[in-house]
Amino acid sequence: MRSITQGLIVGTVCLFSTHVCAQGALGQTRTPDAPAQQLRRDLEIMKEQMRQMQEKIQQQEEAIEKLSTPAAPPVAPPTPVPASPAARDQEQLKQEVREEVLRDLQPKLSAATKTFPSQFNPAIALVIDTDFSYRQHEGNNFDFRAAELDLSASVDPFARGYAVFTGSSDNGFSVEEAAIVTTSLPYNLTVKGGRFFADFGRLSKFHDHDLPFVNRPVVLDRFVGGESRADGVEVSYLLPIEQYVTLTAGMYNKLGAENDRVDDTVPRDLGEFTYLGRAATFISLSDAHSVDIGATFAYTPRVKIDQSQDRYLAGIDITYRYVPLSQAAYRGLVWGTEVLFNRESRPVGGFPTDPTAPPPTDFKRNNAWGLYSYLEARLSRRFYPGFLFDYAQALDPGIGDTKAYSPYLTFWLSEFQRLRLQYTYVDQASTPQQSAHANQVFLQWTAILGSHVHGFRDR
Amino acid sequence: MKRRTLVVLSVVLMLLASWTGAEAKIRVVTTIPDLADMAKNIGGDLLEIKSLATGVEDIHAVPMKPSFATILNRADVLLLVGLEVEHAFLPGLLEAARNPKILRDAPGYIDCSVYVTPLEVPTRLDRALGDQHPMGNPHINLDPVAGKAMARAMADGLTRNYPEYEATFKKNLAAYLQTLDTAIARWQREAAPLRGVKFVSYHPDMIYFAERFGMEAAGTIEIRAGIDPTPGHIAALEERMRREGIKLVVRERHYPASLAETIAQRTGAKLVELPAMVGGVPEARDYVSFIDYNVRTMLKGVQGG
Repeated sequence: MRSITQGLIVGTVCLFSTHVCAQGALGQTRTPDAPAQQLRRDLEIMKEQMRQMQEKIQQQEEAIEKLSTPAAPPVAPPTPVPASPAARDQEQLKQEVREEVLRDLQPKLSAATKTFPSQFNPAIALVIDTDFSYRQHEGNNFDFRAAELDLSASVDPFARGYAVFTGSSDNGFSVEEAAIVTTSLPYNLTVKGGRFFADFGRLSKFHDHDLPFVNRPVVLDRFVGGESRADGVEVSYLLPIEQYVTLTAGMYNKLGAENDRVDDTVPRDLGEFTYLGRAATFISLSDAHSVDIGATFAYTPRVKIDQSQDRYLAGIDITYRYVPLSQAAYRGLVWGTEVLFNRESRPVGGFPTDPTAPPPTDFKRNNAWGLYSYLEARLSRRFYPGFLFDYAQALDPGIGDTKAYSPYLTFWLSEFQRLRLQYTYVDQASTPQQSAHANQVFLQWTAILGSHVHGFRDR
Repeated sequence: MKRRTLVVLSVVLMLLASWTGAEAKIRVVTTIPDLADMAKNIGGDLLEIKSLATGVEDIHAVPMKPSFATILNRADVLLLVGLEVEHAFLPGLLEAARNPKILRDAPGYIDCSVYVTPLEVPTRLDRALGDQHPMGNPHINLDPVAGKAMARAMADGLTRNYPEYEATFKKNLAAYLQTLDTAIARWQREAAPLRGVKFVSYHPDMIYFAERFGMEAAGTIEIRAGIDPTPGHIAALEERMRREGIKLVVRERHYPASLAETIAQRTGAKLVELPAMVGGVPEARDYVSFIDYNVRTMLKGVQGG
């Protein structure tokens, strides 16, 4: 009993003293119980301020007096009389004051008038992405990869919206993204709805022209279906802890812009949607070294064309960055890797390419995996050499793997214009439509016009 | 058992008490250390201050680290330089931070440039003119008189958010402005030999410093703001330096050394290396010592030694 009482007393005393200590520092500046010396000093400061203010007021009063003194009445109108020295002084003073005020106001006025006419319009950007390509066994071509129009603006105090429209030789005109994102939800929550790039992995969320190399890695094209475009809704949560951790949950019609398992326009049962979960974190190894790590899992309970079997798609992404703080624009290194795993029922030998052919009946539960890994150095503000390695198994049983090796060099003319030269050696399973080996060369030219915001997603 | 429970309870209560004590502070995040130092002078112990940049960075290229998002997520107020100087990292981080209190136009978003009259406000906006800042040259922190205006804007911003501490902010601001006034008078005296001196800098960020101390910013190593030089531009710049007798090259320390050194060598100019923020060199511990370092280093460059 005695020991309990002692414990209580000690605890209470510690509690009280900790609290008092914690508040002490604040109390010094908040309460009027400061030492007399401090008060005297404060009083002196206030006196000095008062004196300065009085001086200023007196000066201003004198200036006003001078300005408001009525000018000497004009004598006789017929012959102009030269202004008196006092009037000239007054005019000169007025002129000086006018010039001084204008000098101060002019820059602000010109800045304000420049932005006023378009204040409520969304920010607009246009990206032009084109290349010249050589593909062994196919030939040469100028590829108009895309012209992409980006719009973004606040909707109201609670949300912002953005849209990305793309026109390209391959896909014609399409809405790549058009989404509403909340900005003011409590509990660190963000909700996104509409059409957008789902939070799957890292480079799936990049538009083609934002990729660090010319073409999207084979594994992302094959497993995700290109960009992770999805029509649906996504909820994201930033954990309220010091460590950066985000959790995302999503529900979509389907995942992947070129995923043709599902038609976006046909209504479906709840079991035919794709459900996604993702966790991502960031580890700072030092001021200059850091690692981003993420894990994503996408589950579709029933895929009709896969004999209504389920599909799992999982991925792990790791990005290591070396960014020296004092030379961030001139030096650096990025190593990025994603490993993906896909499990679903697929027809042996794949779906027939001929639409008139009978549907396949021989399905097999197939596991496939693939990865890409790239290393990119920043040698100066302009030169970024890199190397990309691709490996992807086929999703359909009975088809071989694909490997690709791509050294590349990016040359940034400015932040808004870029040239990129890439060589790719493809090593794949030979079929009647494709050779086992192919050399490819690309010279890409990309430019950004108009508004440009550095988004967190594209870091 | 009871005793153990009691001890655990006491420890928990102690921790809780310390936690609530710490929570009472206003959590302030600043984009650069200059603002952190000003905030320390104005808010004193009322504030718990964190700066995103350390001072050695190029303010246009501060890495957008996710760890900054968690810092911003917990902030009560955000102090920024303004004039879009933080465009490369702040909008993205605010998007990731999910803190409505410090979003643009929220009370906690305190733009410290509002009382500064910007220089070099562009009359035409065009990417052909480089990385333009529509509201004017944003490198205001290099001018101590603009620094005073930043401090006033900061104190007013803090007062808008925490009117209960108005007296404290006002009192501390007055004392800080007094310190700056004394230092500015001294710098003006010491920097007299800088009057009329022409110089070339890497980036157009020394304009406010030049204006304050009567120097003339005569050109930049970059072609335009944010655009790396070409051999043709360097040749023309060197020719102009020889023709106009420009004998001073300023390298802001986050820009590459070799090119600035070569230009200085080839034109017979003196090279000085200056930090652009507090913390850019060890001697620039706070805002006063930062300006002090720049004035003294510039003087050394002009006077030799």
